[in-house]
Amino acid sequence: METLPLTEPVLLILLSLAGQPRHGYSILKDVEQMSEGRVLLSTGTLYGALRRLLDDDWIERLEEKDSSRGRQAYRLTARGRKNLRFEVSRLKHLTRLANLRVAVKEY
Amino acid sequence: MLKLYRCLLRFYPTAHRDNFGEEMAAVFSEVQAETAKRGWAARIRFCVRETTGLLLGAVQEHLREFPVRRFAMRAEFRFPKSTAVLMTIILAGVVLAIERGKAIQASLPDVNPHLGPIQPTQHTFLPIVGITLLFFYTAGLVGWAILFALRRSGVHRLAEMAPDQK
Repeated sequence: METLPLTEPVLLILLSLAGQPRHGYSILKDVEQMSEGRVLLSTGTLYGALRRLLDDDWIERLEEKDSSRGRQAYRLTARGRKNLRFEVSRLKHLTRLANLRVAVKEY
Repeated sequence: MLKLYRCLLRFYPTAHRDNFGEEMAAVFSEVQAETAKRGWAARIRFCVRETTGLLLGAVQEHLREFPVRRFAMRAEFRFPKSTAVLMTIILAGVVLAIERGKAIQASLPDVNPHLGPIQPTQHTFLPIVGITLLFFYTAGLVGWAILFALRRSGVHRLAEMAPDQK
């Protein structure tokens, strides 16, 4: 079960799906690109996270008539998008607070 | 390499393998084809990452399934949510009643300080036992008298029997 706060790989997977539905390989590449090569997911890690997100109804498999079992696309559900927004606002608040504290320390 | 990957996939629980196995292998071969262009160091890093990720993922999936299989209750034995709510309400009621009782006890003055010692239990217990025994003995006697009057007690039949049959 995914709980807030999210781990970095899970957050990046959700951000990758926030823009458009994606297949597994596309998610891996997007996560690598977003993190500037810092987060390299293995297929085991990716599909473990996707399975949990599917179970929690944060993402769903896209029904494609011509898709083989080797290429399934995933997209965010309304619940997943809501939780992602919540997490992003939490991170914004944390960043703002951190900036304030660091600025105070510097003076 | 793909064959080895498929072998390692067998460490996953069957349900996960059925659901994601083909997809994982397809993504793996895509990443492998891309990594092949990058050189040996990238390939070795890729192999280590995939093997570690796959084995850790398999352990996590088994751990996730274990408590469900081990401790899951059968559907017919599950408490409905209303039971939990009712039990909570009853518990709250009992606690409230106890607290209310304590408050009443504390608010009342000592109304019967001169009642003297409470009688020992045996003083009331023995007469009750005696009365109960007497009641059942009398009831038995009345019952037997009724049967005797109705000639159902067996005494008359016994009297009518021949001496050698007794």
